[in-house]
Amino acid sequence: MDKFIVNIIHRPEMVPEYSATVTGQGKEEDIGDKALLTESLDIFRTQQRLAHENGLKVTIQMTYASLFNDEAVEIAKHDHEEFGDEIGLSLLGLPCEEFREKYKTKDFCIWMFSMEDKKAIVNDVFEKFHDRFGFYPESTSSYYMDADLINYIKATYPTVKCAVATCWEEGPKAYHTCNNSWYTLFDGGPWAPWIPSKQNTHAPAANEAEDSGIVAIPHLSRDLIACYDGNGSNFGTHPQNVLRGMIYDTKTWEYPYLYNLIDQYRDLYKYNNGYAYNMMFVGPGWMNKMGRWEQPYELLLKSYTDGCAYYGKLKKEGKLIDMTMSEFADYYRKKKGVTDEKRYTEPECALWRDILYGSDKQLFWYCDPYMRACVNMDQGGAIVDLRPYAAKLEWPVGIGTKHVQDASYPFLIQEKYRAGYFTHYAGEGTVRSAKLSYNGEEVDLCLCPTHAHFSQEGRTRILTLDPVEIEFHGLTVKLQTKEYFEEGSSNIKIERHILEMSDPTAEVTLDEYMVACYGTTEYPEDMTSVVLRCEGKDEKRIDYAYKCRTESLQGADAVSAVVPPIDTKVSLTASVEAEGYIEEGYAFSPMFKLGYKKKIADKEVFATWLNLEKAN
Amino acid sequence: MAQLGKGKLNYRCPSCFMRDLDIDMFYNKDTKIYSCIRCQYRGTEEDVLAKNEMVRFRYGAMNKRFDKFDFD
Repeated sequence: MDKFIVNIIHRPEMVPEYSATVTGQGKEEDIGDKALLTESLDIFRTQQRLAHENGLKVTIQMTYASLFNDEAVEIAKHDHEEFGDEIGLSLLGLPCEEFREKYKTKDFCIWMFSMEDKKAIVNDVFEKFHDRFGFYPESTSSYYMDADLINYIKATYPTVKCAVATCWEEGPKAYHTCNNSWYTLFDGGPWAPWIPSKQNTHAPAANEAEDSGIVAIPHLSRDLIACYDGNGSNFGTHPQNVLRGMIYDTKTWEYPYLYNLIDQYRDLYKYNNGYAYNMMFVGPGWMNKMGRWEQPYELLLKSYTDGCAYYGKLKKEGKLIDMTMSEFADYYRKKKGVTDEKRYTEPECALWRDILYGSDKQLFWYCDPYMRACVNMDQGGAIVDLRPYAAKLEWPVGIGTKHVQDASYPFLIQEKYRAGYFTHYAGEGTVRSAKLSYNGEEVDLCLCPTHAHFSQEGRTRILTLDPVEIEFHGLTVKLQTKEYFEEGSSNIKIERHILEMSDPTAEVTLDEYMVACYGTTEYPEDMTSVVLRCEGKDEKRIDYAYKCRTESLQGADAVSAVVPPIDTKVSLTASVEAEGYIEEGYAFSPMFKLGYKKKIADKEVFATWLNLEKAN
Repeated sequence: MAQLGKGKLNYRCPSCFMRDLDIDMFYNKDTKIYSCIRCQYRGTEEDVLAKNEMVRFRYGAMNKRFDKFDFD
């Protein structure tokens, strides 16, 4: 039976993010402001009521501050008894008088502390929780939890089996939206639940040895087109996200987009063996009595009321199962085959359409222990984002590491940060696509928008794109692309089928290529350690030096790049003999390019594989 | 002129919103004008609300309810 699971999560934050700056604008900071504490608790109580009125179970993520508040503790105990709510422990909401007194800092993001402080805070918070409730929690949360932090928590408090561990594509875009003052930089993770590896939270575990011991869930369920393109905080299953994005009718206060978003997530069961997931996790700051940005309190309240009512309605109709976080962790491990078969390779897939802008754009997101990839049907099936999880990159974050704030998993391809098909004036942007040329004319499949259909054969997920027509002077070519994601293979196979040519005797040249670089932000990195190779009998090699060099090798076994800063080797291989080539970039185009060129005729098929490996 | 403060609601700058920036505006209670301290936008509440309607132009399907999510 198909299952749509929802986790509803509330956190009694005593000094909610934003509330202090909104309510307290023009006042001196007072972290112990009694009015703020009372209001925060009122909001928490309201959130709890709305969920319960709609028959929904909640996971209460107690904050450190709330553990000092008898009323918050009593509400949690009561609702656990009365409604079966789970009492978990959040690492959000640290700020309070007691925390400031003890740690002498205004830092509040657990992943940014030094490892020494992370351990001290975790011990402190978990022991305080135990003092108040008499047991240790089974779930925890933050906006991001780095691998070292998760490993420490699991080793010290093994009861923990579920955690909110990232927020999808909350990185440079969110930073920019907040006037470069919101330092949550953790792009490149899964959008749906996963089992983090011990090496890197973003990268799912490939086997039992890599299993961190928890099931991670993302902070909110995000729009897989809108959040990739714009501010993630406007397009998630947090009703007040939708208000933040101004995606509502100001006269009627209606927001069909919120329900479309939930429904599209429900629809993802088709790509994930009958399972789909949602989560809603709203801090009290978003229901501030003073209103939030353009929205008065009444609209904020209405949105949360409506959100709960919609999930409640789905539950009543038998279309949704509400679980607590720890219940979900058990369910997820069983469903994915981890519990019984020790199988970690089942991917998460999402064929996602635009439900907001009125286009017919469609993306396919794929995530497994070896990669996260995005295929853009609006660009002929080009891969426009690629994260090489195969490297299981160890990337410590926080004070005392090389990455105090930057927790993103690096990309090889990111069409928004490092251009995609379109560049200004010179150079190339990151993308995996193909070009056809004939008699001096050249057409890139990025300019051939289409749609895709999903199917599964055994453990291979297949995207079959609608054929596209390419018009040259004197020749029309009908081409179809198929993309194969074989579970556990760490590669993507792309087939180009020439279905029809207006001149059946003609030949066109197919250039299968990948332009890539590495990084986590919009800015270029040092490429000088990158090594490019045409692999084969007469190997050709380029040590990157921004010299714009090219090498090629007929019948190359592979064309590859080793990218030491991210421990990654990426290569292309071909189904039949073809001319492999490598291209170094230059200072104004700090990329590298790998490709195969081959003449292809009517009814022929040419396949290439994009392969990812750990470099060292 | 006294310092700027907050208005009755915490309006964001509509011009910055259109470039994916959330910037609170500040309010002059004498002139009843909201102003952005990041860019050059200034406007009355009426103008802010009108511009906020305009920023929604990008949401072409904002009022549509979908019941199909694939192209099969």
